[in-house]
Amino acid sequence: MLKIKNLHASVEDKTIIKGLDLNIKPGEVHAIMGPNGAGKSTLGYVLSGREGYEVSEGSVEFKGQDLLEMDIEERAREGLFLAFQYPVEIPGVSNMEFMKESVNAMRKKQGLEPLTAAEFLKKAKEACKQVNLPLDFLKRGVNEGFSGGEKKRNEIMQMILLEPKLCILDESDSGLDIDALQVVANGVNSQRSPERSFIVVTHYQRLLDYIKPDFVHILADGKIVKSGDASLALEVEKAGYAWLGDKSKEAGA
Amino acid sequence: MSQWLEQVIDRASEVQDWLGPIRQKSLAELREQRWPNRRVEAWKYTSLTPLEQLQLSGSDKATQVPYDQIAGLESLDLVFVNGQLQTDLKQCSLPAGLRIRNLSEADDESGADLFADIKPKRHLFGLVNDVLAQQGLIIEVADGASIARPVRLVQLCTLGGESHTRILVRLGEKSRLTVIEQGEGQDPSLSTAFAEYELGRQAYLEHYRLSLHQAKAVQLGGSHFRLLEKSQLNSHLVAYGSDLSRLDVDIEHAESHAFAKFNAIYLLASGETFDLHSTIEHRVPHGTTEENARGIVGDRAKAVFNGRIHIHRDAQKTLAELNNRNLLLSRRGQINTKPELEIYADDVQCAHGATVAEIEESALYYLQSRGIPRSQALVMLNFGFIQELVNQMPNRVLGEWLQVRLKDRFRQMEVK
Repeated sequence: MLKIKNLHASVEDKTIIKGLDLNIKPGEVHAIMGPNGAGKSTLGYVLSGREGYEVSEGSVEFKGQDLLEMDIEERAREGLFLAFQYPVEIPGVSNMEFMKESVNAMRKKQGLEPLTAAEFLKKAKEACKQVNLPLDFLKRGVNEGFSGGEKKRNEIMQMILLEPKLCILDESDSGLDIDALQVVANGVNSQRSPERSFIVVTHYQRLLDYIKPDFVHILADGKIVKSGDASLALEVEKAGYAWLGDKSKEAGA
Repeated sequence: MSQWLEQVIDRASEVQDWLGPIRQKSLAELREQRWPNRRVEAWKYTSLTPLEQLQLSGSDKATQVPYDQIAGLESLDLVFVNGQLQTDLKQCSLPAGLRIRNLSEADDESGADLFADIKPKRHLFGLVNDVLAQQGLIIEVADGASIARPVRLVQLCTLGGESHTRILVRLGEKSRLTVIEQGEGQDPSLSTAFAEYELGRQAYLEHYRLSLHQAKAVQLGGSHFRLLEKSQLNSHLVAYGSDLSRLDVDIEHAESHAFAKFNAIYLLASGETFDLHSTIEHRVPHGTTEENARGIVGDRAKAVFNGRIHIHRDAQKTLAELNNRNLLLSRRGQINTKPELEIYADDVQCAHGATVAEIEESALYYLQSRGIPRSQALVMLNFGFIQELVNQMPNRVLGEWLQVRLKDRFRQMEVK
């Protein structure tokens, strides 16, 4: 599904990702944990193609294609989805219009006819229900005036509608209370399948109680310094990230 | 004095017709006028160089130029090509209560009126139009007549063409009319098109000015409205830009309790200039004006908006609102916006505002990250606020026709 080799990336001439390797097979859930500033969010932005994030070295292969050669929208249409940590508010564009255009952009790529307004509405209603968002959120401006939790749920709602191949969840747990966390986790779990892979980026182990990862990677100073199974997350929970100070130097040596 | 103006004066001196005395007066004024340079406030941001450099070879007046009818609009189309009326008025069957005459057959008082009351005092090109216009229309609606069929004036300019026209529209008491002034051209050409409207007591005018000149077509013109008691104006301007495109819209509350709504949309592609000067004169009490101008300005394009509201000492209980919003598609685009309020009455409500915004990259990225192509994302993000004004046009057929054209134009505009 995704093969990242020796990835180096920078923002405003500051190198953030410094030689990252990651291999993800269909159906797998990988958690990426790490301290603030390790490059967790940067990784998501680089993979999605955000402007200003420069790749200086390395390669990323997505479903056998060179991901880095694709435009932002091409990556999305190939099935890459990034659930944002801080989704932007867009007054003047309704959630409904936004999602309908997105879904139809995906369908066009697959050679399918666009959905009619009625067909789309039916799907959107189901997706809203799954993440516990009232239907009037469809009519509101994209994320306009949504609470933090509503924004996160709106992201998962989009994920459900767009049926991506690879989902990157960027701190989808941050700022959520336990109920909202469960809603988000349930939404994600409902989408798990042998064909769909996930990268769950999180600072805390908490989310991983609900979304069971197959692998856990610790990212520090732009590299993966340790990988393991779900038990690694528990280790981090106990020990914190302080030990990484030495560990990352070791890995770099 | 510019060479261009000298030539106009020479040419005008040769015009011999019954309007002679009126033209002589304007000609005398024109001789006194100084050619506006950038130090003149009204032309501070708009250069007249494209006009001075314009090569007009003169065009074949017999040219038949195709023009678009608007399906479903059922309008009465009166078509000018390079200032010559192509439509045979005698062939038009007009609804009862509507009278339309050509300037050349109106050699009576009303013809003189056509030229009597324009407001060229601060507008050089009003005077130029005074001395050069040989074609024009006088449109009159009888008291109480309600004309359902829109009157559409189409003015086309072709390569090397020159067009100087004058329109006078008079609405009788309690009458209703819709007028669409539409100008188009893209090849090097010059158009001065001025229209005067007088709204009788309790009359209602729905007005559209579609100033769709672009590229090399120079246009200088204006629409002036005089509102009598309890009359209502609902006016909508849509403009592109060109090498030089300047419009003056004047609304005068001449009697009390009149209502004026004026919406303007401008959409400027790469390198174009559009200059809108609007002046609202509240001379009497209890007048209301709502003015909303919104524009999208492309790379190296330049928009000028000067919105003046003048509330005279006697104009108590005036309600006036003026708002101008702009969106820049490039760092090299330019917007000069200036709301100007001059208020001499103390019991009025008056509000104004102007904003300039840029494309928000993060919003664009968000839409793209969901698979929406960049060009479409831009339309979604930025067309909305223009669309809002299009949606306010009472004539839905025209609104939808315009929407398609505006969207097409916007899609072709590059964001940098």
